Amino acid sequence: MLALWSIALRTLVAERGKFITALVGVVFSVVLVNVQGGLFLGLLRKASLLVDCGGADIWVGHRGMFNVDLAADIPRRWVYRVRSVPGVAVAQPYLLGHSTMTLPDGGFESVLVIGCERSTLLGNAWMMREGRAADVVRTDGIIVDAWEAVKLGDPQVGSLREIGRRRARVVGTSDGILGFLITPYVFTTLDRASEFLHKPSDVCSYVLVQLEPGADAHQVCHEIRRRLPKADAWPREVYGRMCVEYWIRRTGLGISFGCSTLLGLLVGMVIVAQTLYASVLDRIQEFGTLKAMGADHGQLYRMLLAQAVFMAALGSAVGVILVALIVGAFSTPVAPIVTPAWLVGASTVLVVVVCVLSSLLPFWRVRRVDPLLVLQS
Amino acid sequence: MSPLRHVHPRRASERGAETAVSAAPPVVVEGLCKQYARGGTATPVLRGVDLRVERGECVFLTGPSGSGKSTLLAILGCILTPDAGVVRILGENLGLLDAHRRTLLRRQRIGFVFQRFQLLRGLTALHNVAVPLQLCGVPPATALVRAMRLLEQVGLRERAHALPSQLSAGQCQRVALARALAVEPELILADEPTANLDEYHGLEAMRLLRELAAARGRTLVVVTHDVRILPFADRVFRLEHGRLQPGEARLVDAGGTRGV
Ligand SMILES: Nc1ncnc2c1ncn2[C@@H]1O[C@H](COP(=O)(O)OP(=O)(O)OP(=O)(O)O)[C@@H](O)[C@H]1O
Ligand SMILES: [Mg+2]
Repeated sequence: MLALWSIALRTLVAERGKFITALVGVVFSVVLVNVQGGLFLGLLRKASLLVDCGGADIWVGHRGMFNVDLAADIPRRWVYRVRSVPGVAVAQPYLLGHSTMTLPDGGFESVLVIGCERSTLLGNAWMMREGRAADVVRTDGIIVDAWEAVKLGDPQVGSLREIGRRRARVVGTSDGILGFLITPYVFTTLDRASEFLHKPSDVCSYVLVQLEPGADAHQVCHEIRRRLPKADAWPREVYGRMCVEYWIRRTGLGISFGCSTLLGLLVGMVIVAQTLYASVLDRIQEFGTLKAMGADHGQLYRMLLAQAVFMAALGSAVGVILVALIVGAFSTPVAPIVTPAWLVGASTVLVVVVCVLSSLLPFWRVRRVDPLLVLQS
Repeated sequence: MSPLRHVHPRRASERGAETAVSAAPPVVVEGLCKQYARGGTATPVLRGVDLRVERGECVFLTGPSGSGKSTLLAILGCILTPDAGVVRILGENLGLLDAHRRTLLRRQRIGFVFQRFQLLRGLTALHNVAVPLQLCGVPPATALVRAMRLLEQVGLRERAHALPSQLSAGQCQRVALARALAVEPELILADEPTANLDEYHGLEAMRLLRELAAARGRTLVVVTHDVRILPFADRVFRLEHGRLQPGEARLVDAGGTRGV
């Protein structure tokens, strides 16, 4: 077995041009699958970013809540009911809603205003580029994201805007808090958010809960739902997943990303198959010779397989390095490329499988090679 | 055939030398017929060939182009199957062997030398010689040591790491000879081994082949047009009209191979 591999690899590498072509195909496949998958995961992460990083252990909202960015109003007084549930350490109202920001040049931009309770600032902006998150309590204070500079007319700390015809002053910029929607987030305090959104002061969108140490999130959620039949309550991970699933279902995102990933694999497969096939066609005589010398189909297939697996392995290695470079160079909060180990691992396995499959085509040709060929002039 | 054979070709052949297998002549052909079906009509090529080659003998097959010499050689080498007649190679009745057994027989006990050398382009001389050993499952390191010894025997030690494209025709054929001898086959089949070589290198290659074959009592069947090498033969047959006739046997006695 090992013996044949060494023959196979030597003949493969000997044809440098073809070998490199196939390698490029595999690398292309690996990069495409990882970047596509990474962009997909990055986009999904944006869908639940607010939930994942907002600091709350449990999200309480209107019955049937399904997406953090698209919340229904609930009575603010639910906060008190939630606070009385055993295991709840902190419960604060949280308000989300769409409004319009007027820009210095007279244009306007739709924004998603987020209001957090000023005493705890639970659910406030967290990754800051300029200013401090706590500055949001200052007069007219808002925090916008530095990555949304173009949409929001390049807001600097101290610059003024108008939201819902109310004055707003940028007191800080966050660094990469972007949602799934193209609408920029604007963090502010709860009361100011009510003003920006023209909502009565007795409503909010969620009650954010932090648990006491050791409290069981699912149990607390269950109790909240029991006490507030019109409310839904979900642990952070569950609600985050719900947000992600909502977008996947609503947009068919999975299908489009899946298709392009599949296409990437297919291209890789075609290139590897075609290269192996061409190199087999080129060496029909040699396969005839091997057969004449007593090589059986199993041995010949193992040689082709060795070549395919070797190309897959080497291509994957190069591809993964390239993916790391691409992620380093091109991944931004706007279009994050998230490549966890499982994605890299799965794509490598997939590429190896694809290469193995693609070795079947040349084998089909090799099967038909007649060793008699080498005896005829 | 013993299933043990495919592990150690060398031991297999050595053992073969003492067992009953070798008592039978390595090549026994009786009433062999072979035809090719081409475009619906069958063209008979061999029409009742009889041939018996004793162990250690060197037999030449000559005949006009298209007379079926390569076809006969392919049958002796288990590449083609006969349509009719009995063919016993190294004690095995080919008619009773399935395709797999025939492949094993070819791999482990028969060596081939081709007109156009048929070396694998991507492999060095050394690795080319090692291929048959590796097909037999000999580990690469062992195979390479044995391949090097064979290259030494054909005088190509210094060129061991050259690719076929860097070798002359004569050198290529010597590599091919070494390769054919790699598994220490009991039977060596050569199809026009000197046709692509000039006179000097042709004689040189044939002398080497004869010498290396004789050293271990191997049987040699050579198809050739090349009258210059006929003196190396113990017996010469001529294939014509689908049958074998004794050919220029006189030449052999006159030339004498023993002196070479
Ligand atoms: N695969 C095949 N299908 C059909 N006819 C074939 C096939 N192989 C050989 N033949 C025919 O069979 C005949 C014998 O061919 P073969 O190659 O055995 O002759 P040869 O004596 O070796 O000739 P040469 O001296 O030119 O090598 C030729 O007429 C050839 O055309
Ligand atoms: Mg011929």
